[in-house]
Parts: sequence; structure tokens; C-alpha cells
Amino acid sequence: MTPETLKILTESAKYDVSCSSSGSQRANIKGGIGNAAPAGICHSFTPDGRCISLLKILLSNDCIYSCRYCPNRAEANVPRATATADEICNLVIGFYKRNYIEGLFLSSAVVKSPHYTMVQLLSVVKKLRTEYGFHGYIHLKGIPHAEQDLIFEAGKWVDRMSYNIELPSENSLKLLAPQKTKRSLLEPMHDLHYKKLYLKENKSKEKFLPAGQTTQMIVGATPETDGKILRLTQALYRNYGLKRVYYSSYVPVVQDSLLPDKCTGLLREHRLYQADWLLRFYGFDVDELLPSEGNLSEEYDPKCAWAIRHPELFPVEVNTAPYEMLLRIPGVGVKSAYRILSARKYTRLTMDDLVRMKVVTKRARHFITCDGKFFGTDDESRRRNLLLLADKEENAAKAEQLSLFSDAPTAFSALTGEV
Amino acid sequence: MHIYRFPATRVGFYTAVFDAYADKEAFLSCSDRQFSLEDSEISVTPDEEKALRVKRKLKQYDKDSLHDIDYVLRSDGKDKEDAAFRYIRCICRAKGAVRERFADPDVFKAQQYRHKVAWEMDKMYGFLRFAETESGVLYAPYEPDCDLTELIVWHFIARFSGERFVIHDKKRKKAAVYNGKDCIVTEFHDPDLYLSADEKDFESLWKTYYDAVNIQSRPHEKQMKGSMPVRYWKYLPEKH
Repeated sequence: MTPETLKILTESAKYDVSCSSSGSQRANIKGGIGNAAPAGICHSFTPDGRCISLLKILLSNDCIYSCRYCPNRAEANVPRATATADEICNLVIGFYKRNYIEGLFLSSAVVKSPHYTMVQLLSVVKKLRTEYGFHGYIHLKGIPHAEQDLIFEAGKWVDRMSYNIELPSENSLKLLAPQKTKRSLLEPMHDLHYKKLYLKENKSKEKFLPAGQTTQMIVGATPETDGKILRLTQALYRNYGLKRVYYSSYVPVVQDSLLPDKCTGLLREHRLYQADWLLRFYGFDVDELLPSEGNLSEEYDPKCAWAIRHPELFPVEVNTAPYEMLLRIPGVGVKSAYRILSARKYTRLTMDDLVRMKVVTKRARHFITCDGKFFGTDDESRRRNLLLLADKEENAAKAEQLSLFSDAPTAFSALTGEV
Repeated sequence: MHIYRFPATRVGFYTAVFDAYADKEAFLSCSDRQFSLEDSEISVTPDEEKALRVKRKLKQYDKDSLHDIDYVLRSDGKDKEDAAFRYIRCICRAKGAVRERFADPDVFKAQQYRHKVAWEMDKMYGFLRFAETESGVLYAPYEPDCDLTELIVWHFIARFSGERFVIHDKKRKKAAVYNGKDCIVTEFHDPDLYLSADEKDFESLWKTYYDAVNIQSRPHEKQMKGSMPVRYWKYLPEKH
């Protein structure tokens, strides 16, 4: 592939946030190349702070659709390029052998028709698996309106598929992406989910999307509230079995009267990810976090904001509280909760023990007792100020903390949005 | 304090554990670090039999403990040998697994060291970079903080089963060499490298990709450096 083609096809693909290579356990065969690591592997990081795990590329950026926010919409005057299947395969193998990447994330503009595009994508994937003997991770973007047979066939060859919802409401879609409909995005997600469930129930040995599905929503291009976005998110996790919902702060790449001309702040995206984590790993329901028409608090992380609204539940005693309640203490993540749960079997935990175990107590101290002793402040307004400060410090210091090994749990949480 | 000094081998370490076990003032070390004048030094002679007895006992108390200790000894902690020793004492005192006793400072420290090795292994799965040589052998130089080569090589054998490759720890002057069938870890010095004809092209395509996939309007350099510490950049083509 020429550097010019690679540049065009990458720049068109880069606004897709998903780059994760986790969730699949595909094994290599003798003499073949590649396998998939269940935890996923990051191979590099770009100056925007994002990880490179997969070769994220379009097969073509020559689009017949005209989504208002997209730089490759049909009317745009931009350089167009299309890669051949062999060009993509050679690049994947060449990069993979050098340990630059974990696999391929293949997407495409809608060329000629959705059906035609899906056929092309499928042929690249099949070629890579059969002719090139590649057993590494493949994430394939689904094309809206493509036929069911085709996407079911694709599901057999790849590890993960995704349909991007992009705009979190039907109205916004109509306005900004007229050729896509809510149905054309949600129906294939639904079908793939049920196909996977069906195979599982019949104990089929056939591999089908081992790493499941994901989707992405642009935040800030349209007026939907955090409450709306998170309700949609929760429904996608519960009803369609999605593995991840990604949020992408709106970045204006295209000038259009219907679109804002400013970037949406990263803080909003950060708060959404924190709330998303609460839904998936902390046993929260979206109704506990915020009303449908509301937005997440900017000052506090969503768990802290919830705890402040529920003074009747605190302080909790770390030596006796059940795991579910430990998880609801502001500042205590899955790892800390596990450490507390394990350690208290052997000794009654004191505040010193928690500090030594590197449980972050900046926020937690106001919500817990250790062996009956309280170390926070009772004064409501003083406590709010301290909590505010804790959040500010953390956001400012996050980057520095990341580089220190001693703060590995913090580093982990900053990467994953864990709170 | 009584400094038990031993040669940096597993047998040396476990012999020192055997000799020092009952000594309340023992400190285990294999570096030539100077201690204070009041300290006395005891030099340990490696003894297979003693080492075996310690290992057998540990296995009996906690079958995964030897694995934990191997990791601790591979870390770059300055007092890693002593940390491993204290961890062993905890296991023997409890006559069973102690790894979840996070409130015990000796256990926590050993777990931190073990974690550091596991953490760097994960990083190296991602950041190791191979270059293809003229003969088709893939060559990856690196300088990890911890002694990882024997641990990470399995990951690469699994995914590159049909390739031949060398993973070279330049700091410790050793390498894992895999010929497509068998793997050995051996002493290794800087080789004369003749790269394949394609190598420069792929490297430059990779750099093109790296630059193109970045979103310039959203800079977050601190996060990049946090996730990919600068000390690892030396062998990353995209950072040069």
C-alpha cells in the first residue's frame, strides 16, 4: 500500500473510538500467525492519549451517503482512495509480525450500495483468515441496510462487530444522517445478539463473534442529555448484550450550519465513562444516577454525587459492609473492594491498614468507619469542598500519577474510567 | 542486622532462606551494597539439598507460592530478596497461602513486587518491536526494568509459531532464541544486523499510520506518556 493511500484511509477511520482487542480467546494453529489475548493488548499510544491496538482503516472512503458530520460524505471535495484486499492483508501481516498491532479494525464508507460494501469487507476478512493464515483479532464494522445473511456470515469470521449509533436519538439521525435510520442500526445489532444466544443455547461449537458487539455515540453534536444517553446505554447492555458503548466528544471536522463549531469538553466524556462503569461493574441502575432530562454533575464523579444525595446510607463500616456496599463507597473501586474483602478475613481493618493497602481514602474517609472510628468531617459544606478538591486534584494530577508505578491502581482507573 | 549474602541464583536464594530462617535479625541480599558498620556479614554457600527442602515445604503450604516468589525475585526492587524472604516467613507462619492478607505489610510488599513484573510483562507484550532480518529471523531488542525474557517468550511463541525470532534483553545481555520449534534462553551480545529489503518500508508505513491516526485537535500528551512511559520509547520506531 502506498503511504498516501494509507494516510487517507486512516484519517477517515480515526474518529472511531473503539480500539479494544479484548474479549476473544482465538487460538493460533501450527504454522499460522496470530492469536487473540482475552485481556487485549495496547501496542502504542498517540499524542492524543489514545491507545493503538488495532490497525484501524477503511477499505474505501468513497461514500454515497451524506451524513452532515462526516468528512467523507458524498458531496465533500476530499481525496478518495480504495485499497485492495491484498494490500490490506499484506499490511496486517507485516505490522503484526513486527508486533506493531494486535489485529485489524476494518470499516468502510458505503461504496455503490450497502450490499456491495458488505460483500467487499467480508471478502477481505475471509482472505486474511484463509489465504494469509491470520488468527489474530479482527473487528469488523457493520454496514447499515446490509442483508442479514451477509452479516451472519461475517460473524463467523471475525471477533467483534460494531454498528455505530453515532447520534443518540431518531430525530438527530434524521437531521444529520438522513440515509441511516434507527432501525437500520438497531436491527442488525439485535439479530447478531440473538444469533449468538441461539448458537450458545444449542451448544454449537461454531465460533460466532467471540468478543461480541460494541457501538459508539457522538456526544455534544446534538442536544440529547446525559440522562437520555445513559438510558440508551443501559438498554443496549441489557437488551442487546453489548460489550461496550463508547462515547466520543464531538470534534468539528466539518463546517455545517446544523453542527456546533466547538469541541465538546473532555470532562463530559469522562463523566459519561465513569457512569458507564457504574452501570456495568458497580451494580448501579441508571435511575439512581440521574433523571432522564438531567446531566451528570461536572464537579463530582457520578458515584460521589450519588453518595452525597444519600447521607442516610453512610458512613459504612468497612469491616462488615457487604461487597455491594463497599463498591458504592466513593473512591473505592473493584480492586480496593476486593482487597478490603480479602484482608478483613484475617484482621480488623484500621485506617492505617487501608492506607497501607493503597486504598484511596481521600474521598472514602468521609463515607466510612474503620473499626467504629470515623476519619472524615461531619460538617456538610466543608465535606463538599474537600470532595470537590479531591476531584479537581485527581483530574489535574492524573497524568503524572499514571507514570508512577506505585500508583498502578490509579493508572488503571484513569485508563478505564473506574471510580 | 545480619546480612546474608548469596550468589544471584535460585539455589543461592533458597539456601540463604534456609540458613537465615531462625535468625530474627537476618537481611537477605545478593548485591554488594554497603551496610552500616554494626552489621555483620554472613556469606552463604549454595546447597541444592537445603534449597530443595525449603521449596518442598513451600509447595506443601501453598502450591502457587514458588510462582509468586519467582516473580518477586525478577522485579527490580532493591530489597527484592529480603522481601521474598519475609513473604516466605509469612507463609511458613500461617502454614498456608497468605497472598490475600493485604493488610500485612510483608505480604503487601511482595505482592507489589510481583505485580510490577506482571505489569511490565503486559507492557512488553505491546511495546516489544521486531525487525525482520535478511534471513527472515525477527529480532527484538529491549531493556526492561524487570527480568522478563523467560516469562514473555511464551506469548510470542504462541502467536508466531511458524516464525524464527530472538528477544534480546540488552541490559542483562541475554536472549530467548526460537527457531520455529524449540526455544532456549542464552547469553547474548549485540549482533551484526542485516535487515530485510522490506523492513524500512514497513517501518515507514507504520510511522505514517501512527501520525495519521492521531487526532490533533485533542492533544493529551500527559496521558500518552502515562500509558507509555518515555523510558520505553527507545525501541519504538514510531517515536523516532
